[in-house]
Amino acid sequence: MARYGMALDYKNCINCKACEVACKEENGVLLGADKHRIWVGVGEIEGEYPLLSIVSNTFYPSQCQHCDEAPCQMVCPTNATYYGEQGQVRVDPEKCILCSYCMNACPYDARYVDDRTMTVDKCTFCTDTRLERGETTTACQNTCPTKVRIFGDLDDPQSEISELLRTREHFTLKANLGTKPKLFYLT
Amino acid sequence: MKVEVSRRKFLQGSVALAIAGGTSISVSNLLAKDKGKIEITTKTGTGEATFVPTLCEMCVNKCAAIARVENGVVTKLDPNPRFPKSKNMLCPRGNAGIQALYDPDRLKSPMIRDGKKGSGKFKKVTWDEAYSYIEEKMVKILDEEKDNRSSFLFCAGEGMAEHTFKQFYQAFGSANWLNHSSICLQTVVSGYGVTLGAYPQSDLENAEYVIMAGANRAEAIVTPDTMDMFKRTKGRGTKMICIDPRFTNTAAKADKWLAIKPGTDLAFVLALTYVTITEEIYNKKYVEDNFAGFDKYKQSIIENKYTPQWAEKITGIKATDIIKVAREFMAHAPKSVYYPGRRSTFAKNDFQLRRAMAIFQGLGGGIDCKGGLVFGSKIKLKGHEGLEPIYDRARSRGVDKKKNAVKGEAGYSDCAVVGGGGSWVSWRNRFLEKRMPYNVRGMFIYKHNPVLNMPNSAKTIEMLKKMELVVAIDTMPSDTVMYADVVLPECTYLERTDPVKTFGGVEPSIAQRNKVVEPMFESKPVMEIMQGLTNKISKSIFEITKKHDEEVQDLIKEDGEEAAYAEFDLTKPFHESQEKINEHAVHDHHGAAEELKKHGVYYPDMGKYYKQVSANVHQYYIESRKSYSVNGGKPKTKSGKVECYLANLSTKGVDPMPIWRDEYNFNVPKGKFRLLTGRHAQFTQSGTANNSVLRDLIFENYIWINKRIAKAKDIKFGDNIEVSSSAGKVTIKAYPTEKIAPDTVFFVHGFGQESEALSWAYKNGANDNAVIEDVTEPVYGAAAMHETNVEIRKV
Repeated sequence: MARYGMALDYKNCINCKACEVACKEENGVLLGADKHRIWVGVGEIEGEYPLLSIVSNTFYPSQCQHCDEAPCQMVCPTNATYYGEQGQVRVDPEKCILCSYCMNACPYDARYVDDRTMTVDKCTFCTDTRLERGETTTACQNTCPTKVRIFGDLDDPQSEISELLRTREHFTLKANLGTKPKLFYLT
Repeated sequence: MKVEVSRRKFLQGSVALAIAGGTSISVSNLLAKDKGKIEITTKTGTGEATFVPTLCEMCVNKCAAIARVENGVVTKLDPNPRFPKSKNMLCPRGNAGIQALYDPDRLKSPMIRDGKKGSGKFKKVTWDEAYSYIEEKMVKILDEEKDNRSSFLFCAGEGMAEHTFKQFYQAFGSANWLNHSSICLQTVVSGYGVTLGAYPQSDLENAEYVIMAGANRAEAIVTPDTMDMFKRTKGRGTKMICIDPRFTNTAAKADKWLAIKPGTDLAFVLALTYVTITEEIYNKKYVEDNFAGFDKYKQSIIENKYTPQWAEKITGIKATDIIKVAREFMAHAPKSVYYPGRRSTFAKNDFQLRRAMAIFQGLGGGIDCKGGLVFGSKIKLKGHEGLEPIYDRARSRGVDKKKNAVKGEAGYSDCAVVGGGGSWVSWRNRFLEKRMPYNVRGMFIYKHNPVLNMPNSAKTIEMLKKMELVVAIDTMPSDTVMYADVVLPECTYLERTDPVKTFGGVEPSIAQRNKVVEPMFESKPVMEIMQGLTNKISKSIFEITKKHDEEVQDLIKEDGEEAAYAEFDLTKPFHESQEKINEHAVHDHHGAAEELKKHGVYYPDMGKYYKQVSANVHQYYIESRKSYSVNGGKPKTKSGKVECYLANLSTKGVDPMPIWRDEYNFNVPKGKFRLLTGRHAQFTQSGTANNSVLRDLIFENYIWINKRIAKAKDIKFGDNIEVSSSAGKVTIKAYPTEKIAPDTVFFVHGFGQESEALSWAYKNGANDNAVIEDVTEPVYGAAAMHETNVEIRKV
């Protein structure tokens, strides 16, 4: 069985937000500034014009880290949050009671409330749309103009993502928390 | 609007359709909305779907997409990996194309004005009623103007169906044609055109050093440039220097960002040239073989003392940085690119800036070569027969020739040269100031929003009000449509097949926009609109020609009426279907018509060479078949040389070679700010302003004000700011930031429409062109958009 992960060549990111729109169109995500499964993180620039810090304006595309040790799963009182067969962190809306513990527990702020179902929603790695149809990648990976993402099976040593993680330096976000994220940022 | 198919009806219809189809997918993006309330997109299903290859029209790039259709509803647009130009990508706008199709505010049926102009009151009519109304007005105007066909203006925005509309203009016989060029890339295309013989592309996949000056490729996306560029920046193959008065997303990806004073890029390039020539670091062999007028230019550069120290005072860029950039550029040449850019004219000196950039590029020899500027090759299409009858009474283009102009002066009161697309701002102002040589009383507008798209919106509105007949063909009820007398609803790009197009470049191809779904409501492709309209008006306006045109009267005497009319039959260019015309166009390429229907893309040996190499890389051509060099490394001018000195320009009052003039200096009076405009990746001008998913990303535009200035003026984020100039004033929210200089402000173009029929775009921020003054540059009369100083005030 595969174990899905994603590598991000994040220095390619130009903050165009194509991934965000592709995700919304693919997965029927609600509109609204706080309703998204995917985002690009960027801080206000440091320095005074014209002596500005370019590095303070780095773009960090992000989404659910699909942690192997997911705090959101640990705190869920109804087991609505569960691990999918390929290691995806999923939410079962039938079981979710919107206690929002998971939203507080998630160190990456990857969850939001879907106002239609009044349950918590998040990135699924397009499991119930693209992957279920037999496609091999996510909407965000596919559409990206500057090709930030590589999606694949971490357990397959022959996969492109495994090869990349063996050969390129990378880091994970908030690694000190021990959540074992499956999003890898290539440096 | 007074009469329209109500949103509720629209919804009922669409939902019913979906249920009838037994669909399990939700057409929730069609759900009712209150103004400003959340919308929902459509989740893709896992059942049956059909796939149609198409080309995007959310901007001008024409990237290839594959539409997923489930039970007649488009649920997803995915990138088409087969197209070498867009290389398996769709930007946010491309992804949001579905919302253009299902926008509840779309124009749904033909309408005729039913209230004061600009009131937004229309009555719904049939196509035939709309055509009859146009016919009646046209006959009247043409008769009164004695068959002067130029009493009608035709204008169009950029698009694949623009050609179809233009055929109507040509057959009709007017000389007044205005397109986007004078508010877009006229000066850059022409500057490179006269200097290098063509407007080149850049091989950013192989360039080692790139100067991105006044070009914001991370936000104003151009394919393939944006994709090729940013995979290689940040120490991964390309060193990129960004020159811009504001810190853009492109600056964020640069190795070095050099803040420059607006409109002074020419001084920067002249100083780079000075360093290159005086240090003798240019490619001497290339210059010797391929330059014309180099000695004159060299002499001018040196005698005028365009030193880095001189340029530092003008541009604000340190002399040491200028020296460093010149040396690095030449060290990497020919694999270095001074990026030509693709944008509107910002400063009055833009044409000369482009000439200087092209010459500087040539000094390194990076022309028609791998890693430099490239001309590429193009796959030929067969032409389609048009109709260009000669009307004896038709006057030439409505220009204002300068009286008693002597040699060495511009021949026109507005500019030196009148390009094919004309000068929009000058034309409008001549019309308003009664400087036209004859009456112009009617206009046809296709896919174009002149109220929003050119400086001084108030004047454009005044012009539209003064036109007796304004016919607008569009998909959306834009501000311009609000001033129309007749509105003809075009279907969106997903509902039509457009003229097949050939895309030149290092990896040339042909691509086709195939119809994905049938047109909704009563909308039609422009081809069918032209068929219907010309069927209605052709004979009756020929009667006017018969009445006034002695040449035609003689022709009828000689050949008989039927034979004479055949030359004036306006229906002729529109007899065939678009599909048939496309098949004819690619007839010389075996199997192309089928490939274009099946894959949307064709190029020779696609089947042999196209393959996916890895998750993010596709191969189109093998290296040996790429068109890096098609002209032996030489420019494409008639002389085969880089033209430094153009004597014929000086006869028209234009500097024959790029020089700096004191009037170009950046200067803002105390208490005022220079207003800059620009683009971002989430919207295309005003055309996508009502798109619900894009609006989700950028709700409204904000004005950038330097943080320290904002603090001094007690302006906080979100405060309302009144921005005013001699052209008008707008109110917009504040964004204090250090990304802009203390004497400059910026807000992005395309927002703040006043058409109440646009639920989301209505007054969503501010329209820059309501405050940008109508300044034009002297060569082509292109609108210079960064020449306006404004006052700002917290309100």
